[in-house]
Amino acid sequence: MNTVDKATFNPDMQGRISAWLTKHKFSHRPLGYDYRGVEILQVKSDEWLSIAVALYAYGFNYLRLQCAYDAAPGGSLISVYHLTQMRDQPDQPEEICAKVFVSRTNPQIPSVYWVWKSADFQERESYDMLGITYWGHPYLRRILMPESWIGWPLRKDYVVPNFYELQDAY
Amino acid sequence: MNSRFKHTDPIVVSMGPHHPSMHGVLRLVVVPQGENVIDCKPILGYLHRGMEKIAENRTIVQYLPYVTRWDYLATMFTEAVTVNAPEKLANIQIPERASYIRIIMLELSRVASHLLWLGPFLADIGAQTPFFYIFREREMIYDLFEAATGMRMMHNYFRIGGVAADLPYGWVDKCLDFCQYCLPKIYEYERLITRNPIFLKRVKGVGFISRQEAINWGLSGPCLRASGVQWDLRKIDHYECYDKIDWQIKWQTEGDSLARYLVRIDEMKESINIIQQALKLLPGGPYENLEGRRIAQEKGRMNWNSFNYQFVGKKSSPTVKLPRQEHYVRVEAPKGELGVFLIGDDSVFPWRFKIRPPGFANLQILPQLLKGMKLADIMTILGSIDIIMGEVDR
Repeated sequence: MNTVDKATFNPDMQGRISAWLTKHKFSHRPLGYDYRGVEILQVKSDEWLSIAVALYAYGFNYLRLQCAYDAAPGGSLISVYHLTQMRDQPDQPEEICAKVFVSRTNPQIPSVYWVWKSADFQERESYDMLGITYWGHPYLRRILMPESWIGWPLRKDYVVPNFYELQDAY
Repeated sequence: MNSRFKHTDPIVVSMGPHHPSMHGVLRLVVVPQGENVIDCKPILGYLHRGMEKIAENRTIVQYLPYVTRWDYLATMFTEAVTVNAPEKLANIQIPERASYIRIIMLELSRVASHLLWLGPFLADIGAQTPFFYIFREREMIYDLFEAATGMRMMHNYFRIGGVAADLPYGWVDKCLDFCQYCLPKIYEYERLITRNPIFLKRVKGVGFISRQEAINWGLSGPCLRASGVQWDLRKIDHYECYDKIDWQIKWQTEGDSLARYLVRIDEMKESINIIQQALKLLPGGPYENLEGRRIAQEKGRMNWNSFNYQFVGKKSSPTVKLPRQEHYVRVEAPKGELGVFLIGDDSVFPWRFKIRPPGFANLQILPQLLKGMKLADIMTILGSIDIIMGEVDR
């Protein structure tokens, strides 16, 4: 099980960008830092698009990674966005990681394709592998699995169909 | 022109999964009108092997043979990022000699990858000769790799804590000989190709990506540097020992396929330069850390004659337990930014091992680049973006 959900607000964990977002009254919840020191924010699905535009205006113009994972078999699904400020010849540019937690039964997140176009294939892959639907994406279809596949392969509770070798089933 | 043909429906052509060149299994559904391309849709997934799902059930050492199958032309980078992820997560330092060996291997792999990009790129355009020439150099790199790691392509050489085995005796001299041999060959390629008028006509001005677009589409590697952004992860992240070596970022401003070609050729020369400097700076010392660390930790409990002190053969690398943390590590692969987002789970298996392949992000821009181009430009643009389906599909 892996949840980075913290129930109480810890002001020591609020970084610079979280403070900037609070100053401009964007609701989010800081989740501390990951192991390299990159700030993590938790954002609700409804407010994600406005915060994405705010972060773009702050200067995060490069969406490095968009991925998704599930917190526990049966728990919530999390869509992760790693953003960076891309400039010429920078030294340790600013980075931030934004996470959107959605429920497993109805995972809907607004697509940020119109803010950072590099979310195109990556959101399609998150949809394909975990079933998170991105509203506003121009072409949300399965990308790696065949179009007719049923099921979301990377979920922890996914059962591989027609799989009979018990000795290989972990 | 012919007014009869004005109102016909456009034909949809599927440039099917198999290609004569070595891009891999990529299906491009192209809608041409005459000679112009109106729309194009890439269909991926023909090489999807479920690498990320498999990673959730393997320890890192068990997973290492899988990772070389992502980008099978530049295999050291895939291993480097897979090994860097747990190293940084569990705070394991590697010895200096291992770091320099890694740099040499990575840069050799970069030269090999760019060479094998050059051959098919020009073969797609129509020039068959460089395709054979690059294999000459690549065979020499294969020989160097085989002497050090035992395998020509899928090395399985990097380990958490260092490398698997030290360089054999005489390898450094052979590698220096190779660098002195290879640099004039790269100049020979330039003399053959760069000012060739046929090549320039095919490649200049084709597939232009502006700087803003390149950043917005999430490109990385030579595609980004050819559009004027000086972004090289080796300088930015300060990983391994690249800071101790004197080298420059190669970049261009035009943003067309010719600029991408020039960036890769310059990178090859710069890689040879880095290898030569690293070979001269190679320190002595251990090549791997974890075995020594394990012995040091168990010092009080081990007897002199016991199994742990005897050398009865290479003991396998100890398994690292991944703490419950997450992070995103990346390396500058020859195709772009190869990254791994690793979420540990306080066990030997990772909870989530997301691979960020450079080819996947770079391929997104293809439909936009192809609109309005001629049919012959499809292969030029596809070649200049340099994708490899092993990592795009995983």
